Amino acid sequence: MRVVLANILAIYRRELQSYFASPLAYVVAGVFWLLTGFFFVVTLNLLTQQIAYADSLGYTQAIDAPYQFLQAFLGVVSSIALFILPILSMGLYAEERKRGTLELLATSPVTNWAVALGKLLGVLTFFITLLVPLLFYEAIVLSASTPPFSPAVVLSGHLGLILLAAAILSLGMFISSLTDSTIVAAVSTFGLILLLWVIDTLAQRLGGVAGAVLGHLSLLKHYTNLVQGILDSSSLLLFASYILLGLFLTAQAVDAFRFQRS
Amino acid sequence: MINVEHLSKIYGSTPAIADITFTVEPGEILGFLGPNGAGKTTTMRILTGYLPASSGRATIAGYEVHENSMAVRQRIGYLPETPPLYSDMTVEGFLHFVARIKGVNAGERPQRVESAMTRCNLTERRRTLIRKLSKGYRQRVGIAQAIVHDPPVIILDEPTVGLDPRQIIEVRNLIKNLAGDHTVILSTHILPEVSMTCNRVAIINKGRVVATNTPDQLTSQLLGGAGYELEIEGDATVAQTTLQTLPGVKSVELLEPGSASPHLNLRLLTEPGTPLAGREIAATIVHAGLGLYEMRRVQANLETVFLELTTEEVASEAGSAASEETPTDNTEAISEEAV
Repeated sequence: MRVVLANILAIYRRELQSYFASPLAYVVAGVFWLLTGFFFVVTLNLLTQQIAYADSLGYTQAIDAPYQFLQAFLGVVSSIALFILPILSMGLYAEERKRGTLELLATSPVTNWAVALGKLLGVLTFFITLLVPLLFYEAIVLSASTPPFSPAVVLSGHLGLILLAAAILSLGMFISSLTDSTIVAAVSTFGLILLLWVIDTLAQRLGGVAGAVLGHLSLLKHYTNLVQGILDSSSLLLFASYILLGLFLTAQAVDAFRFQRS
Repeated sequence: MINVEHLSKIYGSTPAIADITFTVEPGEILGFLGPNGAGKTTTMRILTGYLPASSGRATIAGYEVHENSMAVRQRIGYLPETPPLYSDMTVEGFLHFVARIKGVNAGERPQRVESAMTRCNLTERRRTLIRKLSKGYRQRVGIAQAIVHDPPVIILDEPTVGLDPRQIIEVRNLIKNLAGDHTVILSTHILPEVSMTCNRVAIINKGRVVATNTPDQLTSQLLGGAGYELEIEGDATVAQTTLQTLPGVKSVELLEPGSASPHLNLRLLTEPGTPLAGREIAATIVHAGLGLYEMRRVQANLETVFLELTTEEVASEAGSAASEETPTDNTEAISEEAV
């Protein structure tokens, strides 16, 4: 067990280290911060304008401004993440395949699981690092809000964001393990998660039992639950299932593809 | 140390290797010699557990390579055809990473990395990013990663490819130094490399081991070891028939005449195990009334053996199935003796 942990840690550290040396990581971080910063201001302005407008019309109904703000902002962040995450996951295995380093990993006393988990934790850590500046902005705005914000909602919203990212990255990692082309991996991952994003819309059209089953697979629905502060166990379970499924398929794919390759 | 029995690997319907059997004793260096596409890489990948075999068994240090893959992986160092390097790491950082995933204890790691770098002459470049290294250096980092955890078995797939002549000599010396403490298999299609570095050689062609033996024995057994090249003035048939009568002479063949020289060029091969004195040959020629202009001893080298073994197969394939029996038969006799 200690050996497995040491292996996971070794892979994790190498993965993190590679982000510091990778121009792609800096570009992704720069673009992500630029866009989220811009939308942060836009969302905030929009909300204050709406409240001012409601005030001017003489509505006296209380508005939970911090809640509304978090809803809107986390919604925007998740949409941006939808584009960013496939770019982060595309190289996880495709690069290893291309460089031939997969042969090193596959002939080292490390299980496929440990490699996959180490990689997933590495890329997830990078994504969480991307979120850190946003937490500062949010802290500044929310600390000045009346009524005061509810820490539980903030927590569950960000937990939702991290779980969503982990699920997408895990599936993206699997797709990356199928090919040695990073572009193919990125495009297919984007297609898959877009499908899982809107699958409940399709499911509603479909109706019936099949529709209900498909509806449960939706990433958006379960993410929205968490952002709204609804800590639904089925949502947590769904994200956990996606993460485990991605890990499992990755470990299998690495074996299967190795056996086929000539 | 390494035991391979009837190993086969089939891709779809084409066999990459068929019924390969050989053993490697502890501390030995075995050279895998064969043309490109002969199945060297496939065999090595099976030994490292990277590919499963279609049939047959291979064990390293008593562990079956597929069933006990983890135990085998701990005991091997492997340099694949393309060195598996992370271009965004420094030489030292990369070797530390490899040592870590190969399960070297934290306490021993700095010392192991240090010694691997010293052995491969990498200490000056320890802080250089691998991306910025020349091809020769990359290859050396590849070898360093294969030996960093001090494994009992080291498998090197074409370790000297892409190196300049001086680096090739360094790498060969490095490999020779590994013998004794380590069991080494290396593949190559460069013939002198095998005779210089290896204790034993397995010639592999079209997925089959066609011969295994020490480089010297292989040459002497197959081509009768030594012979002479003669330049003679006189009648060709007279020369051939008289020389043929000498005891210990295996064959006398007429070579293509040199363009300018009016003389005959003959090659005389001796039976294995019967050293023929040059004096007798010279005396015979002179007694027969022929003029002797040049007499030179030739040692059949591995290159000749290699060409003989691999071209015979090609020739026989073009011919009938029956003729195919001949080369396989005589070489199998050799490999049995060797194993």
